[in-house]
Amino acid sequence: MSDVAPIQEAFSIKRIVTGSRELDEILGGGVPENSINIIMGEPGSGKTALAEELVFANAGDERRPSLYLTTLSEPVNKVIKYLQQFQFFDMNKIGGAVRYEELGAELAANGIAALLPKLKEVIKTLSPKIIVIDSFKAIHDLASSVQEMRLMLYEVGGLLSAYDTTVFLIGEYRHEDIATFPEFAVADGIIELARNVHGSRDERILRVFKLRGSAYRQGAHAFDITSAGLKVYPRLVSPVEAAFYKRDATRATSGIPGLDSMLAGGFWTGSATLLAGPTGSGKTTASIQFILEGLRLGEQCLLVNFQENPTQLAHQVEQIGGKLDDIVRGRLKLLYYSAVELSIDKIIVSIFQVLRKTPIRRIVIDAIGDLAIAAGDATRMHDYLYALVQHFSVMGVSSVFTMETDPPLMSSDENHGRLSHMTDNIIFLDIRATNGIVGRTLRIAKARGIAHDLQSREVQIDAAGVHIVERRE
Amino acid sequence: MVTDADERLSRVSGKAIVMVVDRDPHIRELEAHFLEQAGYSILFAGDGDAALVRARSAVPDIVITEILVPRLDGLALCRQLKLDPRTREASVLVFSILAAAGRAREAGADAFLLKPLAEHALIETVRQLLEQRTTRLRSTR
Repeated sequence: MSDVAPIQEAFSIKRIVTGSRELDEILGGGVPENSINIIMGEPGSGKTALAEELVFANAGDERRPSLYLTTLSEPVNKVIKYLQQFQFFDMNKIGGAVRYEELGAELAANGIAALLPKLKEVIKTLSPKIIVIDSFKAIHDLASSVQEMRLMLYEVGGLLSAYDTTVFLIGEYRHEDIATFPEFAVADGIIELARNVHGSRDERILRVFKLRGSAYRQGAHAFDITSAGLKVYPRLVSPVEAAFYKRDATRATSGIPGLDSMLAGGFWTGSATLLAGPTGSGKTTASIQFILEGLRLGEQCLLVNFQENPTQLAHQVEQIGGKLDDIVRGRLKLLYYSAVELSIDKIIVSIFQVLRKTPIRRIVIDAIGDLAIAAGDATRMHDYLYALVQHFSVMGVSSVFTMETDPPLMSSDENHGRLSHMTDNIIFLDIRATNGIVGRTLRIAKARGIAHDLQSREVQIDAAGVHIVERRE
Repeated sequence: MVTDADERLSRVSGKAIVMVVDRDPHIRELEAHFLEQAGYSILFAGDGDAALVRARSAVPDIVITEILVPRLDGLALCRQLKLDPRTREASVLVFSILAAAGRAREAGADAFLLKPLAEHALIETVRQLLEQRTTRLRSTR
């Protein structure tokens, strides 16, 4: 074969970016090139925003522009008017690397038969690298029969597959349309944008239903529409390394006087610990001591809290003897979220943003109950928690999760069966009244890989925090 | 699409003749459009047998063939074109949905391109093949 002519040896799928790094990650690196994709969702779900973002994200070469074809839903002028509020909008690209055309008049005059000749025309005259048709559902609604729609799709699908272009069909489709509308059979990729209602809070979610020739991250991913475009929060899944990573053989001391000796030296580094107990049993104090111990050892630490803002938290840390000078403050990251306002995906993305930037060795999440509120349902929360623990373990980050329980707790270990397989260690803190005297106790219910003290031990909380009371001989 | 009279005219006018062998009407239409825009004359064949017969009479400068065509597949067509003294000077570009560059090379193809149709890559490849062919023919005279 010629030494000058191109040789393409292997079949490999090239991808186009969507403009959202996180969405590209969900899609396995982006949308496969030369594919036909449907972006579906109810009005106001963000379909057009996503399509516009990917049009501008791929607008580089004027010889291969991104083409936005409007049909019978919204005229071009209206689309462009609202488009200008986004930061990705670039006036200089309009008419060059980004082209807008209307198909409404041709469709109104000739029905769905207008689409094929229009697409041939734009391919021959513009050589579009990307074609968006908004709304394709409006074209579907013009079809007089399923047969007419199928025949049109056969021709259009053939044309669009023959040419080097990537197509996005936008539509106000309902979920049940996937099984019956012929365009979904032609589509290589299907992305749904929707809303979940949690009480008075709406949560936008994105799902990928189909992506031929590519792996993708399944499930519901939260997203926001911001002035920068779609901000997507990929659903957390367990890391692939979880099956074979090597655990650190060192110990992470707890910072709670007396507890490390019950644990034969402390928690394993990279292990996850659940601190469970009723209100006032000392969970938050004990978890702060775990962080202070890390700071004392020179480690970078992260404290995630849903109840107290950073000022209140810093005050609490200092109340139990933590010296938050500038050096220590530099090593302690405080994250505060209102669990009522945020989705679990956003919280977790924020945590991992800190972990990517800072070599965190210890993390406290106070408390799981707040995460549950953010998750919306218990199953989702457990899935996330499991994946979170796996990620921390692989990264060698020792973690403590606090969990408030209904009093009295200590005898109801079965309530925590689902959590017990997730964390390496479970420590119960409790408040008990015996003969009219109220006291606090601590019991290690589980410490994976540690010959631990099984006895319930008396604890006291004073200005220095939680400590185990020495046994009287 | 060119007729025999057009072919003779093309020879006179100096337009190179490109034969497109593909059964996909969209590919044929788009290839014809972009190649004609680039200044070439186009012949069509919908299967390998028809392509071989037409190539023997029309003697195209370049044959662009899909592998998956009826009767005689694109690779067999390539081998036959390269064996026949009447057609062996034609450059063969295998342009297929199959990632089969190695098999195209074994069949004697001068170049391989993977579908879908990207006109800039197609036209550039055709241009290079024609240049190469001209150089080869000059050196043999």
